[in-house]
Amino acid sequence: MDIAVQLQGITKRFDAFTANDRIDLSVRRGEIHAIIGENGAGKTTLMNVLFGLLQPDEGTISVNGKPLVVTSPAVAIAEGLGMVHQHFKLVPSLTVADNIFLGMEIRKRGLIDRKAQIEQARTLSRKFGLNVDPAERVAGLSVGIEQRIEILKVLARNARIIILDEPTAVLTPQESRDLFATLRSFVEDGMTVIFISHHLEEVMAVSDTITVLRDGRVVATRGKSELSKRELVRMMVGRDVSFDRRPRSPGSGRAVLSVSDLWARDDRRLPALKAVNLSVSAGEIVGIAGVAGNGQTELAEVLSGLRPASHGSALLHGKELLEHSPAEIRARGLAHVPGDRLARGVDGNATLSANMLMGRQRKQPYSRRGLIDWRAVDRETKALMQRFDIRARGPRDLASSLSGGNIQKVVLAREFTAGGDFLLIDQPTRGVDIGAQEAIHSEIMRQRADDKAILLISTQLDELAALADRILVMFEGRIMGEIDGAAMDEESIGLMMAGIDPVAAAEVQ
Amino acid sequence: MISSLLPRNLRRTLAGQLLALAIALALGAVVILMIDENPLRVFATLMRGAFGDSEKIAGTLLQTTPILICGVAACIGLRGGMFNVGIEGQLFLGGFAAAWVGFSFALPPVLHVLVAVAAAVAAGAAWVSVPAYFRVRFGANEVVSTILANYVAVLLTSYFTIFLFKRPGGWSETPPILPSAYLPELFSFSRLNIGLLIGLALAVATALFFRFTTTGYAVTMVGSAPKFADYGGINVRRAGFGVLLASGAVGGLAGGVETLGVHHRFMEGFAPGFGFDGLIAALLANGSPIGTIFTALFFGALRAGSLLLEVDTTASREIITVIQALIILAVSADLLLRRKGDRTGGRRWKF
Repeated sequence: MDIAVQLQGITKRFDAFTANDRIDLSVRRGEIHAIIGENGAGKTTLMNVLFGLLQPDEGTISVNGKPLVVTSPAVAIAEGLGMVHQHFKLVPSLTVADNIFLGMEIRKRGLIDRKAQIEQARTLSRKFGLNVDPAERVAGLSVGIEQRIEILKVLARNARIIILDEPTAVLTPQESRDLFATLRSFVEDGMTVIFISHHLEEVMAVSDTITVLRDGRVVATRGKSELSKRELVRMMVGRDVSFDRRPRSPGSGRAVLSVSDLWARDDRRLPALKAVNLSVSAGEIVGIAGVAGNGQTELAEVLSGLRPASHGSALLHGKELLEHSPAEIRARGLAHVPGDRLARGVDGNATLSANMLMGRQRKQPYSRRGLIDWRAVDRETKALMQRFDIRARGPRDLASSLSGGNIQKVVLAREFTAGGDFLLIDQPTRGVDIGAQEAIHSEIMRQRADDKAILLISTQLDELAALADRILVMFEGRIMGEIDGAAMDEESIGLMMAGIDPVAAAEVQ
Repeated sequence: MISSLLPRNLRRTLAGQLLALAIALALGAVVILMIDENPLRVFATLMRGAFGDSEKIAGTLLQTTPILICGVAACIGLRGGMFNVGIEGQLFLGGFAAAWVGFSFALPPVLHVLVAVAAAVAAGAAWVSVPAYFRVRFGANEVVSTILANYVAVLLTSYFTIFLFKRPGGWSETPPILPSAYLPELFSFSRLNIGLLIGLALAVATALFFRFTTTGYAVTMVGSAPKFADYGGINVRRAGFGVLLASGAVGGLAGGVETLGVHHRFMEGFAPGFGFDGLIAALLANGSPIGTIFTALFFGALRAGSLLLEVDTTASREIITVIQALIILAVSADLLLRRKGDRTGGRRWKF
């Protein structure tokens, strides 16, 4: 068997924490090898070790059968390795070609030969079927194209083994499918692809071999055909987890929120919401689907009073909520789980108690006559930590010392117990482990059973499919259409997310 | 209870500040060597000048008082995310306002002091209200506007003193205030007065306020995570305005205490640098009012010790300014290091 990458006994420790524990991994030439695991399972650490960004404490690496000490990425690149990071590292003010050849510019008499660069970039993009215009500036290009540029950067450095870290996190379903087709063509060409993911569907869809990591150890390496989705989840989480559609009974249907003809601008003063109409009833979960950055954040901010609307109306219990302060809207029944939980949802430098206190600091028993009773706050925080399974040593821990999933549970605990009957939930499980995701979903369903009206914004379609009664799709600030949550059809949602009306698309075909 | 008023990461903070101090003193020693003096002798003289006998200790505490009150003013601002660099100006105006009440009106003893102090507080708050308004209404950087307001304040009080209220005769100073407006002195051998106790009480009260009141909680949250506070329903602008106003009021109080307690009149340039020293003391204490008591004492000792330094060694008093500057440099470098390590970001000053 022809082995492209062989890792043996790789151990990497950060102080007392062991991120990789005696990991063995062998990747055959010409396969797509997925590395899957929860956050903190050690996937990215392992790839950084392979790419020379981190030095292992123990273990050996060999590439193309040759033992190798990867002291820096330069060594890895020289051996034909290339890595596409989770967060793109492009210079927006430069052209596509400039970005591709950044650091290895084609020079003529000491000056950059832009023409030759554009020419070569064009050849490269044609050869690998990655369609980009090399003369265009990166600023303003879509995320999907940015990713192509990142891949071209790697290809321009003659990589034959390509590592991709969470490549689909920012893509639409269509863009993901394009990416997978590209990866497929790479391996047909004899190249090797290693990609990291915690997204089950895509791993099952694209990979040949799957290695599952949990708590820094390899659980198993198997061929895809030997695995089912259920087994994969069990290996990742260590127990059975279900993301099937949640059973439900009809809610009371009492109208809670009704938004009509709502317009708003984003931070650059460009229209971010365009004539948005929607309504949410008690005991109903209305999902908002869409690629990030299509107005969902602005919608949440307008409804919570954090951003002014330019036009329209939003009635909460029949009363206008626009032009009111966040405090007033909260007093009328809004609870808000913000999408950017580190900036808005918590103060990382404050204790869990101080975070739980937000919004209720003037209420008994937390305070009396303007004086805070920190003991009562700690007591309540402890109770919430128990109820929402927040893993921390105690209420005096700093929020920033918790994992992403636990921070999110702090936000949920505070908001879901604030007494509001309209829940505005933005990206509840972004960056959250599968095990915690299931718990968060269960809590959202409990809130639904309590007859709360829920507006759920998510970029993850499987989340919406599991939870939402109705799904609205947003594209460039507009609601493109509505889909019944029980009969969700990924194809037409994907088209709407890309701004294409599925009915019109069908007619064209 | 006091322990809960101290910063949570006390040990790290202390270690960091002590290290900064050590580096600054080492650099200071180099400077002293360059002027052919013995650093050990200079430091020993400083210590003797600051703590040599009870009169010297009282002198140190006398210098500490305005620095402490200005430091508390800075702490209030920092806690709410506002960098009030205008304490110097508020101090000057507060000092002038108190002196004016002191010499212009004849009031019964205790009342006279209270009215004069109230005038100082009001003057400080009024002076900061303009930069504060621009900050919350238009987002004008309060660092720039308060620093510029300092020049206006200092020159304005000079103008008042020289052209409107000048005492006949040589000095640029107002007529003396009436004895009914004097702050009571603590000892017979020093001008040290109850201003020190006011400062200490204020520091403790401020710490308690931030720890145990809902308003203090709201202000702290605005300072440390403004977006979170906004989201949680706290009126960020109102909090910011209030914080600057309170900070300015305390700055004015510092000036009032200085004129009513020490000089008994307003003199042009009567308290140079106390506002800035207070700000630095607060930064050195990481924004903790309790910590500021100690850092203010440190700066007070430096100032008091430098008087003897000039008598007993060939080093001039300016060497103290150099050492102070080195301390500021070392401490702010430490601040920068910590900010770099703070990956959550979004916060301008860390406490």
